[in-house]
Amino acid sequence: MSSLLDIRNLRTYFETDKGVVKSVDDISFSLRRGEVLGLVGESGSGKSITGFSLIGLLDETGRIQPGSSIQLNGRELVGLSEKELRKIRGKDISMVFQDPMMTLNPVVKIVDQIGMAIRAHDHASDAEVRRRAIEALARVQIADPETKIDQYPHEFSGGMRQRVAIAIALLHRPQLVIADEPTTALDVSVQAEILREVKALVAEMGTSLIWVSHDLATVSSIADSIVVMRQGKIVEAGPSRQVLHSPTNAYTRGLLDALPSRSRPGTLLASPATEASGAMDFSGLHSAAMGAAPDTAFVRAEAVDKIYAPRVGAIRRFAIRAGFSREPASVHAVKSASITIARGEILGLVGESGSGKSTLGRIICGIYPPTSGTVEVGGQPVRTETGKRGTQAQMIFQDPFASLDPRRTIFQSVAEGPIAHKLCTSANARDYVNRWLRAVAFDPELADRYPHQFSGGQRQRIAIARAVAMQPEIIVCDEPVASLDVSIQAQVINLLMELRRNLNITLLFISHDLSVVHHLCDRVVVMRRGEIVEQGTATGIFNAPQHAYTQMLLAAVPKLAV
Amino acid sequence: MSINSGAARSVSPIAEFWFTFRRNKVAIAALVVVLAITLVAIFAPFLVPQDPFDLKSLVLRDARRPPGYVGATGIVHLLGTDSQGRDLLSAIVYGLRISLQMGLVAGAIAFSIGAIVGSFAAYVGGRIEAFIMRIVDVQLSFPAILLAFVVAAILGQGKSQLILALVFAQYAYFVRTAHGAASAERQKDYVQAALSVPMSGWFVVTRHILPNSLPPLIVVATVQIASAISLEATLSFLGVGLPATEPSLGMLIANGFQYLMSGRYWIAIYPGIALIVLIMAINLVGDQIRDQLNPRLRK
Repeated sequence: MSSLLDIRNLRTYFETDKGVVKSVDDISFSLRRGEVLGLVGESGSGKSITGFSLIGLLDETGRIQPGSSIQLNGRELVGLSEKELRKIRGKDISMVFQDPMMTLNPVVKIVDQIGMAIRAHDHASDAEVRRRAIEALARVQIADPETKIDQYPHEFSGGMRQRVAIAIALLHRPQLVIADEPTTALDVSVQAEILREVKALVAEMGTSLIWVSHDLATVSSIADSIVVMRQGKIVEAGPSRQVLHSPTNAYTRGLLDALPSRSRPGTLLASPATEASGAMDFSGLHSAAMGAAPDTAFVRAEAVDKIYAPRVGAIRRFAIRAGFSREPASVHAVKSASITIARGEILGLVGESGSGKSTLGRIICGIYPPTSGTVEVGGQPVRTETGKRGTQAQMIFQDPFASLDPRRTIFQSVAEGPIAHKLCTSANARDYVNRWLRAVAFDPELADRYPHQFSGGQRQRIAIARAVAMQPEIIVCDEPVASLDVSIQAQVINLLMELRRNLNITLLFISHDLSVVHHLCDRVVVMRRGEIVEQGTATGIFNAPQHAYTQMLLAAVPKLAV
Repeated sequence: MSINSGAARSVSPIAEFWFTFRRNKVAIAALVVVLAITLVAIFAPFLVPQDPFDLKSLVLRDARRPPGYVGATGIVHLLGTDSQGRDLLSAIVYGLRISLQMGLVAGAIAFSIGAIVGSFAAYVGGRIEAFIMRIVDVQLSFPAILLAFVVAAILGQGKSQLILALVFAQYAYFVRTAHGAASAERQKDYVQAALSVPMSGWFVVTRHILPNSLPPLIVVATVQIASAISLEATLSFLGVGLPATEPSLGMLIANGFQYLMSGRYWIAIYPGIALIVLIMAINLVGDQIRDQLNPRLRK
């Protein structure tokens, strides 16, 4: 018997106010000893719930239905008591969660956190706990583990915390590790390192791994076999090469086609979501940008600096002068950045978290004042002394769930700006808003609903409609597709390309995802720790990166194994 | 999981709130009690057997009679009479009327001041915010009863003076709550989005920040209305609240207090029960609203 885990007819249902949700609906698969399985699906596909079902960590409302079977080494796990499950958790099956900021207790030292995990299953003296904790940290490549174990989680970076979580998961040499989107919250370069390390560790320890992810590219770089889930069911399963190269299911094919890295840059992506939402309708639209003369330096940001310095009150200032207190540390978020964008161009602004790309984007949009330097759009400054000037620059935010006011209807949200700036009157606002909603392929019939009634993709299109309804000449897009599923991401990318073509809007596209930037952008600016390290045409940067940092970033991008 | 936008109609947040509220039987019962007391208080003149303010209708011979006593004018005193021969039931209903009025008016004024000042402070930030919030902090370090007592003593007796005292004692709680909620909303993307349009600061505060800061304010409001009512009762009990011509529940209790040990329990006990029922019902409704608005407890 070579299979470690055997899942037969697993069904996990949630009983909610609005009826029964079949999160996992009759799935079966098995896993060999030492095998790495990628469990792939979009949000709501039931992939995470499958992982939680295996380890018995479901919310109160979730139930594994009778007739389901989960066998680990021939032992049935469904129906085990909480006490028996606890003996298995951490020892035979362990789990790594998505958000490394949340999984470690912030007030407990690393050594004690590891100690708790050790003592959950073994008796160990303090000295032995210490020895094993150091060993565990060394195993996940944390430098200087002897000092590091006496620190608190806040002294660790996101990548290091995730390494600690992985170290804890591997403590008891479990037979199976379930990793739920473990690298999604991390920068690409950190993600690449962790992928490499985890791959080596499970191979060395002979542990089986279930890698739950929405990202086909990361999964393809680690998994031996892939299971694709959709709406609680398995739509395709098989060895990685087969699933990625000759997918038999239309949904899998759609997922692969929606990946920007598989299409020629600048072309529209195949997206089932685009087709489902209907065509964009650009009739009856006007804006200042349409038919404007070309201008190679339409947007000019010159020597922009941004320093975040905490406000020092009178008492503190006195204390500093008297030598009782020190000057609070200031953060130099953007250092002397100069960029120009031509009219109608899409400029990609790339960097890892903390690189200052969002801050620079907001300065160009006129939301934040720069500490020094100037930003002009079409020859006019974007800010006055006191605030943002004019409406020619608009912004789209990362999280479509946070960027729409939950208490205002779609119509109210889209209409408020144009009415306030006299692009339309309250009387004809309905007509005006509907035209822009049609432009983003959003059904105007639904405009009187509230944001919570829509999916992430729909909300992001509403946010885009709100921005374009201001008839802007430039839109700053701050990671607009980072929190979206692949097919929805493709749809939004298509939408941005169409908007640029039809409305001649200039776009500043801020992203950490290089494959999206490569696909969408004409030129690219790479930022690192507040400084621009490289800029050039997209083709130039992606084919022949000059700066070492750009080269490292490009090498770290997970690619579909072809 | 998936949102079926085709089938669902436009569901406003308020409709959804009511849908959940309806399922807590205790809260519904409490809400019914609050509404019933409110209606009784509004229509008091048509419901009670005797106008307690009409001194001509009082018969001194009927004073301090136990519940169920049939008075000289033929009125059945269901809850007995007080020391002036007033029908206690009528006095309680009129007392509720005054107590509710005080609580609601004072609560509404304190709510409005608190919501506007608090969210304005959170929006502008900087020195002005620090200045406003320090004043509030200083005020919060005194017990509300002390502040109300001092203000009521300075201003003298009377309805509007008492309302002023209650508002002064309570507005700081609303400012604190509104400021906390509004500072959290201030950071959110949709506020940034509105500012990036750019929308005016006034529009952002009144249409975005304030409506989204309402949930915690409503919770505080229910608690504060209940506490304003009890504060008013306390002040009247202590003799600095309403004048004797406006007998609120607190004064009724104070009047009956001296007879409590002489066996004539009803004069103080029944107004006390009315006060407790009113405050408890408001608090139960408030608890349910708080549970529903607290995202941590949401199912």
